[in-house]
Amino acid sequence: MSQATPAGAASAASTARAGTAGRRLPTLLLVELFTAVSLLAAPLVLAERTELVTLMTNVLILSMLAVSFDLCWGYSGIMSFGQALFFGVAGYVVALVGRDLDFSQIWGSLPLAMLVGLVLALLFALFLLLGRRKPTPIFVALGTLTGSYAAERLVSGWQYVGAGNGLSSIKLLQAGSYEFVEGVPFYLLVLGLLAAVYLGARLLVRSQFGLVLAGVRQNEDRLAFFGYRVQIFKAAVFAVAGAIAGLSGALYSYHQGFIGPGNMGPALSTMAVIYTLLGGAGTLVGPVLGTAFIEVLSYWLADIEAIKAVWPIVLGLVLLAVVTFQPSGLLGILVSTRERIGTYGRRGRG
Amino acid sequence: MRSDNGRSGTGPSLGRRRLLAGTGALAAAGWIGGTAGGWVLRPRWAHAAGPIKMGIATDITGPIAPSGNADWQVAQFAVEQINGAGGVGGRPIELFLEDTASDPKTAVGNVRRLIQQRKVDVVLGAITSAMRQAIKDPIVNRGRTLYIYPQLYEGQECTKFLFCTGPTPAQQVDELIPYLIKEKGRKRFAMPSANYVWPQLLNRYARRVIEAHGGEVVFEEYYPLDQPEYSATIGKIRDGRVDCVFSTVIAPGLQPFMKQLYESGFQREGGIVTCVYYDENLLNYHPPQEMDGLYSCLDYFQAVDDPFSRQLQEGYAKRFPGTRYLFTAGSASTGMYRGIKLYEAAVQETGGKLGREDVAAALDHAKIAQGPGGGAEMVPGKMHCRMNMYVAVCKVEAGKPRYDVIRRHDMVDPKEC
Repeated sequence: MSQATPAGAASAASTARAGTAGRRLPTLLLVELFTAVSLLAAPLVLAERTELVTLMTNVLILSMLAVSFDLCWGYSGIMSFGQALFFGVAGYVVALVGRDLDFSQIWGSLPLAMLVGLVLALLFALFLLLGRRKPTPIFVALGTLTGSYAAERLVSGWQYVGAGNGLSSIKLLQAGSYEFVEGVPFYLLVLGLLAAVYLGARLLVRSQFGLVLAGVRQNEDRLAFFGYRVQIFKAAVFAVAGAIAGLSGALYSYHQGFIGPGNMGPALSTMAVIYTLLGGAGTLVGPVLGTAFIEVLSYWLADIEAIKAVWPIVLGLVLLAVVTFQPSGLLGILVSTRERIGTYGRRGRG
Repeated sequence: MRSDNGRSGTGPSLGRRRLLAGTGALAAAGWIGGTAGGWVLRPRWAHAAGPIKMGIATDITGPIAPSGNADWQVAQFAVEQINGAGGVGGRPIELFLEDTASDPKTAVGNVRRLIQQRKVDVVLGAITSAMRQAIKDPIVNRGRTLYIYPQLYEGQECTKFLFCTGPTPAQQVDELIPYLIKEKGRKRFAMPSANYVWPQLLNRYARRVIEAHGGEVVFEEYYPLDQPEYSATIGKIRDGRVDCVFSTVIAPGLQPFMKQLYESGFQREGGIVTCVYYDENLLNYHPPQEMDGLYSCLDYFQAVDDPFSRQLQEGYAKRFPGTRYLFTAGSASTGMYRGIKLYEAAVQETGGKLGREDVAAALDHAKIAQGPGGGAEMVPGKMHCRMNMYVAVCKVEAGKPRYDVIRRHDMVDPKEC
């Protein structure tokens, strides 16, 4: 899998050159606007069906995790197979802070979660990206995967954090004396945060910083010869992605009222990869759509016994098909490669 | 975390197949399967005020599935009996099932559907304490719904609106341990355990009882639930000259543990194994020789000779012919039955009011005269039940294991809260 996408990116580059996409309608922008409007309208439609609002809130939280993975893989070529690690650790931290310090104020706990994700990701980057030798994607993938797996096993044996039971009855997220329970207000809160994260990420990848990342994706060695310290750029993105994953983990913890070892293990890390690759890596909006697609479908199919049993297999096959035949993901069907990669500064000859 | 479900031998596919097979029977009985979430079992008749909605959250798949499926069948059986006899104050009970899948992470999502989508009046279920702790918050705190937990457990659950209908450590250990020490001359106990909350707290209680009666705990150790290898433990049992193993290992680590313990010759050399969740269901999960001479203490065994219990078993066997999910105590089935009947009694007292406060107030002192193993009564203000307890030993005759009841203790106090 990890090899299919770089190949896809390479072919994407060639089609970009071959494409005659002159001045098309910005499809990507349309998709983004459509997504934003649908998500804003969702609570109006679903208001009475609390369970569906809960589902959609969950989708938003997980898509934040997917966006963080997309920053790593889609924009910086860091195959982070351990995104759930930052998610889970931050989720545990806010749960513990709620339990032991009786604190869950939104202004304190969410920044704390982001800080936890950021610091943890920096530590990982220090080891995986900033070592003496240039890390290969496989090294990074296995390193993050191992971290995620080790964390899951460690936590399942650690009494203080509930061991295999995980932590439940997590204190509700508070703003002053207001408590966020599942429902429309929580949904809107998460939507607002996702929008902020999304816009921030979009600005980042379309900035001069993002241009360097695009260069790294195309030809890392060349950028290095130009004098860019490529690994520093990567580490910075990895840390930002860690902070986003941390935020998402904290929201998950508060929303579900439960966090367990499974929330930081390879299973969830892999889901982040699947959401992103299915939706379309390197688009930011693709991961959001991919998450919604998989989670809503899973929710709906979970009721059909015959499909439930083979659902993971179906999911696996769909992903295989996407990676093989549509490496740019579902969004790649709609959005041209050129637009996907984006433009920076003045338009070239074209 | 449960990446090795397959190894347990009671993996999800079997459970699911049983569920599918059961569906035919359900359709025949006039129940219908739901389409939008879990399973719905609608009564055959209606009442102007609508049915009483009862949610069952139990492990239909995963390593705990054998117990979960038994619970689900007993819930259907009990509710059908109630509906067949005219319902509760004229209203039938509608039953909703959500699979907690032996995985707290999945469970919190699914249980929420019972509350938010089905808007049930009460939830019964969960087998392991991990599961109870995971789902009690979505049910009781966030969901503002009454919750009844049916399984024997470690005690100390004193959450308002959460009622426990299974035995507590006091009920399971207070009679069993003195029996093993005084009558069987056991002195040196080992406590191999699965690493989660039930073994930890049960062991803490049992250790006190053992030491109070002059016994000694040689070691108390905790293993990951899915540990497949126990040679170090068995070495310690041998070296420590342990004469009684008080085991709280559970599936999926259970089968390898029992097998390796038996193969080490512990039982042949006169050692006693005791495990207080062992019931008739468990007999099917080990070869008979591994079970011979095992002591258990529960609120019911099929060997209990009481007319009402026998009648229940006959009815259950008729309802689910040839089922491998037996109506027993260790799987929480008896607690499930008791829970449903106590809830029925409580709603009868409130005159059909289903508000959580009203029902909880009535449930606080609810009583049932009959049940598997005898009647039961809630201890007012304590949210736990008094019930009869039985000490039994497993005997193998002609390759067939069964339990012989040795002692009966009437209306044992739960000593909780």
